Amino acid sequence: MSAALRLDGVSFSYGPVVALADVSLELAPGERLALLGRNGAGKSTLVRLVTGLARPAAGTVWVGDWDTRGRPPDQLARRVGSVFQHADQQLFARTLEDDVAFGPRALGLAPADVAQRVARALAALELATHAREHPYDLPPALRKLAALAGALALEPAVLVLDEPTAGLDRVLRARVARALLERASGGAALLVVTHDLTFAAEVLDRAVVLDRGRLVCDESLASLLGAAARLAPLGLVPPPVAALSTALDLPGRPIRAAEAARVLARVAGGRAEP
Amino acid sequence: MTRLAFEHVTFRYPATEAPALEDVSLEVMGGEVVALVGSVGAGASTLLLVAGDLAPRVVGGRIEGHVTFEGPGPRGIVLPTPWTQLSGMAFTVWDEVAFGPANLGLPRDEIVRRVDHAVARLGLEDLGSRDPTTLSGGELQRVIVAGILAMRPTLLLLDEPTAELDPVGARSLWELVRTLASEGTAIIVATSELDALPAVADRVVWLERGRVAATGPAALLASDVLVVANLGTTVAAVWRAAGLPSPYPLTVAQAAQRWERR
Repeated sequence: MSAALRLDGVSFSYGPVVALADVSLELAPGERLALLGRNGAGKSTLVRLVTGLARPAAGTVWVGDWDTRGRPPDQLARRVGSVFQHADQQLFARTLEDDVAFGPRALGLAPADVAQRVARALAALELATHAREHPYDLPPALRKLAALAGALALEPAVLVLDEPTAGLDRVLRARVARALLERASGGAALLVVTHDLTFAAEVLDRAVVLDRGRLVCDESLASLLGAAARLAPLGLVPPPVAALSTALDLPGRPIRAAEAARVLARVAGGRAEP
Repeated sequence: MTRLAFEHVTFRYPATEAPALEDVSLEVMGGEVVALVGSVGAGASTLLLVAGDLAPRVVGGRIEGHVTFEGPGPRGIVLPTPWTQLSGMAFTVWDEVAFGPANLGLPRDEIVRRVDHAVARLGLEDLGSRDPTTLSGGELQRVIVAGILAMRPTLLLLDEPTAELDPVGARSLWELVRTLASEGTAIIVATSELDALPAVADRVVWLERGRVAATGPAALLASDVLVVANLGTTVAAVWRAAGLPSPYPLTVAQAAQRWERR
């Protein structure tokens, strides 16, 4: 299968500050990738390149068979749906449904198709009851979900999200998690920049770590999170479920809460009633 | 000694009828770290705005009840949106951190001392000459905290202070919160990073729809009622989901101890 997204030897600098150096990476349809690393490691720059907001100084970013260099961001939006770090500041329509409809309308879809996509996106994030509200009457956390709904409504091949859970409580995080898993099972490739490793563990399964602009790790998220000694130098800390699995030596070292609870119940139950 | 007291405080934002805070009573003393937990919209951010004298004074609205603040130093607040807190008047990180103390009219050598100290505490030495507008979200968040610390507040109000930080950066910020408390600062922090709180908070206040629903030591985060409300620590939640009996362990370390004793 051809890649949904491919970076070939990509470099980028802000003046003298090197943000990305020779990064190569391929993402298949349906893959769920966590882009991790310290503050300033180059993660948001990579997002800017993938969404066409910046052009690589060297190398090529491919979205499907498109070289991003030849495509303005509005055209790239047909294939890449993105939500930026402070997305709650980026809504502009008078109602939530209008805001979410902006993308699909701009794609030139028929009104009925637009309405369907908007309904699907709002339903996926349980926002339907807010459809007619003014986006700025919603609390910031729900505005963040609204921006995500806008990206979902594009039904893109690649979803690129920068810190989608910052400022969300656990209930809203779980909503985002469900919506993203559903899209991935439908074939969308996910590229999620996050510091929230608990969320990453619930939703994503591959980890790419950037360190000072270089790709230093590309492996399964479970194996990375289980290796506490390797995490610290990368600016990472094992999230609680992974730490619990390690501390209790749970079989299979689960990193997702529900799975850890199942394994824990089995192991504890096994001891109690042999 | 620093003291902040809320007595039966009710607050409504402009043009709203439903109170954002309702009948909240709370006392925080110097040296204490109080964590506000709750769902989105429960009132934690509003409580910080009221405690910081920004609501209703700056944002408008109506308040009932009494808020008393006594302290040798000022109060400082770190908002959840660091870029809105930039002065817009500084072209380097160092000058940004100096903006507050300079506005207090302090002598130059005192400003230098305070800024260097705050910059070092937040590990910003390498960024001193950078333009604040070119920083990443997490770097900026640390710059804002440094700028507030340079004002030497004795009451520090933090709203989601680690939202933009990488995990190691978040851990150092929580350590700094403990250090500041040990130096006598009173601290109120609103955070959704519940798993950090056992090591940070002396007291947890659970807000629900603007009211104080419960208050207690950090162990409250392992109580059945908070776990059910999705406000327990991850370890407590996993324990409960596994069907193991309460009391649930609060942290990985407690879980490991209990596991060994089985």
